Amino acid sequence: MTDNQSIIAAQQIKQGPILEVKDLQVDFTTDTGKAVHAVRNSSFSVYPGQWVAIVGESGSGKSTSAMAVLGLLPGTGHVVGGSIKLEGQEIAGLSQKEYDKLRGSKIGLVPQDPMSNLNPVWRIGTQVKEALDANNMDVSKEKRSKLAAALASEDSSVALKGEDDELFVASKDLPALLDAAKAALEKNGVKRVEEEMNYFRDEWVPGSETRWRVAKDLIDAGVKDDEAWAIAKKYVLGSTMEDRIAGLLSEAGLPDAATRARQFPHEFSGGMRQRALIAIGLACRPDLLIADEPTSALDVTVQKKILDHLHMLTDSLGTSVLFITHDLGLAAERAQHIVVMYKGQVVESGPSLEVLQHPQHPYTKRLVAAAPSLASQRIISAKERGENTDALLEHKVAGENELAKSEHIITVEHLTKEFKLPRKKEMFKAVDDVSFSVKRGTTLAIVGESGSGKSTVANMVLHLLTPTSGKITYEGRDTSTFKAKDILDFRRHVQPVFQNPYGSLDPMYSIFRSIEEPLRIHGIGDKKSRSKRVRELLDMVEMPVSVMGRYPNELSGGQRQRIAIARAMALEPDVIVCDEAVSALDVLVQDQVLRLLNDLQAEKGLSYLFITHDLAVVRQIADEVVVMQHGRLVEHATTDEVFDHPQKQYTRDLLDAIPGGKLQLGLD
Amino acid sequence: MSNDQNINQNSDEFFADPLPGQERYVAPLDETPLQDVDTVDETNPPTSMWADAWKTLRKNPLFIVSAVLVVLVFVVALFPQLFTRIDPRDCDLTYSLEPASPGHPFGFNNQGCDVYARVIYGARTSVAIGIYTTLLVSVLGGLIGAVAGFFGGWVDAVLSRLTDIFFAVPLLLGAIVLLQMFRTSSSIWKVIFTLTLFGWVSMARIVRGAVMEAKNLEFNTASLALGSTPGRNLFRHILPNSLAPAIVIATMSLGSYIVSEATLSFLGIGLPSSVVSWGGDISTAQQYLRTNPSVLFYPSAALAITVLAFIMLGDAVQDALDPKARTA
Repeated sequence: MTDNQSIIAAQQIKQGPILEVKDLQVDFTTDTGKAVHAVRNSSFSVYPGQWVAIVGESGSGKSTSAMAVLGLLPGTGHVVGGSIKLEGQEIAGLSQKEYDKLRGSKIGLVPQDPMSNLNPVWRIGTQVKEALDANNMDVSKEKRSKLAAALASEDSSVALKGEDDELFVASKDLPALLDAAKAALEKNGVKRVEEEMNYFRDEWVPGSETRWRVAKDLIDAGVKDDEAWAIAKKYVLGSTMEDRIAGLLSEAGLPDAATRARQFPHEFSGGMRQRALIAIGLACRPDLLIADEPTSALDVTVQKKILDHLHMLTDSLGTSVLFITHDLGLAAERAQHIVVMYKGQVVESGPSLEVLQHPQHPYTKRLVAAAPSLASQRIISAKERGENTDALLEHKVAGENELAKSEHIITVEHLTKEFKLPRKKEMFKAVDDVSFSVKRGTTLAIVGESGSGKSTVANMVLHLLTPTSGKITYEGRDTSTFKAKDILDFRRHVQPVFQNPYGSLDPMYSIFRSIEEPLRIHGIGDKKSRSKRVRELLDMVEMPVSVMGRYPNELSGGQRQRIAIARAMALEPDVIVCDEAVSALDVLVQDQVLRLLNDLQAEKGLSYLFITHDLAVVRQIADEVVVMQHGRLVEHATTDEVFDHPQKQYTRDLLDAIPGGKLQLGLD
Repeated sequence: MSNDQNINQNSDEFFADPLPGQERYVAPLDETPLQDVDTVDETNPPTSMWADAWKTLRKNPLFIVSAVLVVLVFVVALFPQLFTRIDPRDCDLTYSLEPASPGHPFGFNNQGCDVYARVIYGARTSVAIGIYTTLLVSVLGGLIGAVAGFFGGWVDAVLSRLTDIFFAVPLLLGAIVLLQMFRTSSSIWKVIFTLTLFGWVSMARIVRGAVMEAKNLEFNTASLALGSTPGRNLFRHILPNSLAPAIVIATMSLGSYIVSEATLSFLGIGLPSSVVSWGGDISTAQQYLRTNPSVLFYPSAALAITVLAFIMLGDAVQDALDPKARTA
């Protein structure tokens, strides 16, 4: 432990937990008056400056617990038992009016969905201002968190005198300040003045940089103490509202913040919106920030950047973070303390590495075993120890070697797809000169972030979209020359499983009818034999026959996806195109579906074209990987090669961004 | 490390001492028994969309009240003889505007006809016009809307502009102009066709929207990839999924067609006075509003209750078929 960490730890013990939840119980009342226990007997605590993660699958009560802390339980939810203490004060029974005073200034929130949590008719800056106004924030100076104040008083390197030292630089004073700094540097005989000045220009953001930091920067650059303080006191006099808004946005990592503040949400990408929401959540310097799946809607590389930035920001402000996530790897990577929730109860909690490396509750064990990010690490670390990796690759394709490897069932050559964009003259190249081939009986994964064109490739392979140029061959035959009859035959052999398990089954069709549909379309068998076949298929995907009469809305996402797989299997295809087939599922369910896909491959010798944004999943299922970015093929190699020796920077970035990918797991 | 359990025995990694209240905690297994991953809930009986809707409807008092009224109106319309033995056209001027008497609970109108009998027999005209118009509107509007929504492009452009043109003509104005040409005919069909001609527009718009929405749902792509054709999808997937809003709008507008018929008859251009109808009766009774308001009251009340029943039924059906409630 470094000195700094031990000082923080001492302060944490001295100040006590900022949030202490004991035996929390939250009920939702249904229409029939029955109480549903969403959270039962759950306890956890958060110390100042700490990241605590609550991990759990959907419906585990993790978000409900966080919302209970915020006093924002939706609908009929209410706290029926236990206590929630903020800085030692009971807040569980507070009225909404009293909560209003806490929210924003004491507890901040970064919500889950960046798309719907910003008001589309207001400028970003106005929405930041709203948060500041609602809490009567003094925009001229920094509000010290308790921890930051305590640490600052112990840190001898910065002589913090009074509250005035927390005043911000104003944009109108900045030029004069920079001139004075330059003069002081030259006077003190500092070498490389320009370099220092460039550093100052970057660092001294109006509405964000405080007087004492300016003084400290000057002293560090070689200006005498009293001179530095004199300059800082003369030119750092507190910022205006506009400066503060821009300062907050730039703290959250938005470049050119003053301009951005005047823009509307639709001009922002998902990642930028999330940054704006972080700025709003931290605007009033809450002591506790609740981050409810803040990055689950974003691409992994963006997720990594944003969380890195948030981590740095909360560390420097001394803000505690209650981090809600479904991703165990992400939680372990970011938080010091992990709370695992299952069916509304805390099943395990403790220091994050310890929980991850030595899970004790069977649920946690299951979760650790199934988490794709961690499982992929398992293979690598086992290999490093010189063990036989094939034994660990539990579901490696059996009999893969017997099949003629040289035979490519699907070949894609120089595939290009252009779309016409509305109100634009030039065509948009969604897919740009992509070539690859799928070997019989193996899995080829196409990995890429949103907008990489991977789904467009899938749709072209499925003959649902016509390529602008390029050739797709199935069993050596060019698919573009297919007549209607050939297409019907092609559809029999190439089947899809789509991303959204809620959308790909017709809600008006019973499960039986859904699975039977392909058989009907192709006119296979009579009523009796079709019914027999549906039973077989349900058995194949490990679903009870009793679901035949049910409708999709009665099944969970994973179950629907298994039905979709059964439907795809009905015609005994050779190729299945899985377009993000497991992306919407919880880790355990995802694991289950991946295993099913693997078993089916081994049994039937299927070939998969597996489209995904998640490299971690690739490790579990694919034999070959194609990495795509902006419609272009970046890298194409075997899975092991891509993971062990990525050739391109983009692939390395993707690998780095796998949450928890670098965690060392004890294999016990 | 505390002495509990066997954590960290053979690991040489260093763990910082946890802070108070953050010690390692493992819930006893009996408190949260581990369930199988993603088990199918087989306890609830299977439900289809229609079964669900029926379940919701059954519990809705709005539905029960309106359904009882609608059934009553239908029975009256189909079997008026069950409710009265008096012929509504058998009028005796000596009874003109006489008040209620035994056997004649609503009294007589100025022609000396029994008001009760006329109210009972008038139901048939109103209900027939409501039902037939709704059926025709559903077929015509549904077809045009479905074609426009499904094919899109120029087909949609042409059909949508056509819809706009009809939408721009006010129903009453259009009906007055049209019905003037058929003054001599006493058939109720002239009214039904007129109402259909100006009524299919809203149905077409609703169906077009629903079809466009259903068309873009993923199961259509899935079905295409299974080997289905777009045409087959329209009938097997898209239309069944667009049915709910069409049913709602049909139920709700049924009442308004009845009102329109009454309005047209009231204006004297709808049905001739030889046809017993609530609108016609209201029209003739309005002159006696000051002296004999009851003559006006009964047919008006019958009309209001019938229309209200259909509109409430539409409301209840809309609640039950709300697609948002089913996506979860």
